[in-house]
Amino acid sequence: MSEAIYKIVDQLPTGGITVMALKSLDFIIPGQWQNIVGFDNTIRHVTGETDPALIRQIGDRAVRLFNDKSQGYQRALWLYQTVDNTDALLGAAALANKVGEKISFLGFLDKMTPKPERAQAIDLSIKLIVEILAFCQINGIPGDSLGDFLRALADYSGESLMRMAALICFDGLIPLGPDFLLKCLGTLQSLQPNDLQENPTFKAISSVVPGGNPSGQLGFIIESFNAVQGWLNQFVSSHELTPQKVINSLQSFIELSKDNLDYLGAFLDMSTNYYYHTGVQTLARRLIERAVAEI
Amino acid sequence: MARWLTALVLALTLLITGCAPTPPSPYEQVQQESTQRNAPPAVSREATQGSEFNRFFPPEGNGFERIYVQEKKGFAEAKLKKDGKELAMLAISDTISTPEAAAKFQNSTMQIAGYPAVEVGTTQTAILVANRYQVKVLSRDPSFTASDRREWIEKFDLAGLAQLAP
Repeated sequence: MSEAIYKIVDQLPTGGITVMALKSLDFIIPGQWQNIVGFDNTIRHVTGETDPALIRQIGDRAVRLFNDKSQGYQRALWLYQTVDNTDALLGAAALANKVGEKISFLGFLDKMTPKPERAQAIDLSIKLIVEILAFCQINGIPGDSLGDFLRALADYSGESLMRMAALICFDGLIPLGPDFLLKCLGTLQSLQPNDLQENPTFKAISSVVPGGNPSGQLGFIIESFNAVQGWLNQFVSSHELTPQKVINSLQSFIELSKDNLDYLGAFLDMSTNYYYHTGVQTLARRLIERAVAEI
Repeated sequence: MARWLTALVLALTLLITGCAPTPPSPYEQVQQESTQRNAPPAVSREATQGSEFNRFFPPEGNGFERIYVQEKKGFAEAKLKKDGKELAMLAISDTISTPEAAAKFQNSTMQIAGYPAVEVGTTQTAILVANRYQVKVLSRDPSFTASDRREWIEKFDLAGLAQLAP
């Protein structure tokens, strides 16, 4: 059984590296993301209601909805959790691979190595798939057409938009460079279905990835990547994003040594769980929006 | 020996006071109720599919955008936007899963489009259609007032929705 949703939201941190790293991206989408934590606090923020009895009623319904497994909210939470957990696994794998270089970067960078480009590209595309799958678990497929669905995706704001910005910056631009989308697509096209099985995140979520078998699943991943590629490209170009801009902003929030920027991607993988953090915020918001409309 | 005992007692005291229980959450009861074996589901098996509700939402136009955001069993919701600003949420839900939601209309003296209506909190206006489906408009911007909510409720295809009820 999953932990209580109100506890999960109450326990979201107000500070730490994840929150600082996300705040450093505010320059891209100013004011879009506030770190709303706490269950009742989220209810007040989402609904604009302040009456404690009404908040309690909304919270009660949200708890019931979350606990009804048929509604998909628990599976969405599991997807967000899995993405960040397997990231930490990759960090641990890097630790086992440790090269004997002298690195002094926040003290613990000597324990990691950057992921190979190919692994990073696979990771980025799988995170995108997880976003689509979690979206469907949380919201269903709203409207009557693919157009409605894509409009809902394009309407991302707040913590969902911040999650996408972090995905682009921390899993795309920083580890793979400005042409990360091309690299990613190239990697995907060169993959054999068996290669997917070697990726820990894919292994963990493969039971919920559509496609039937590894080859069909690879097809689904490539198709999904193609579908959102335009949106990602547009995001990067309209905000004139470069790795350097992101790093500069990160440096004003987190102390980084200029000599070891190669390791920045690995550092972010291991020390942040931005996907889970903003994922829980998205899940809570949608649950609450449904609860308040149903009571 | 005595010194050792004092140290132990001190350590235990620290341990006990350090682990003072946090006050129970007001949601503990509903958490327990909804996770015990044979707990009733939050959404009834007989609830109407959310996709059935889509066609009764108000149409777009006059600069207003309607973006469908959720569609689940017993529930559908769309966002109402104008000039990029989120003004309100529009929702239809099946009260078969939430009898208390339907019960609140029993004492209502207000009507919208001939259906019993209530205002909830400071941001919501709702009606009950065919004694079954709740249609709600929820303000998300202070400029979107109670009279705007009433106006947008009337824009739903309420007669069509009423026919959906078994």
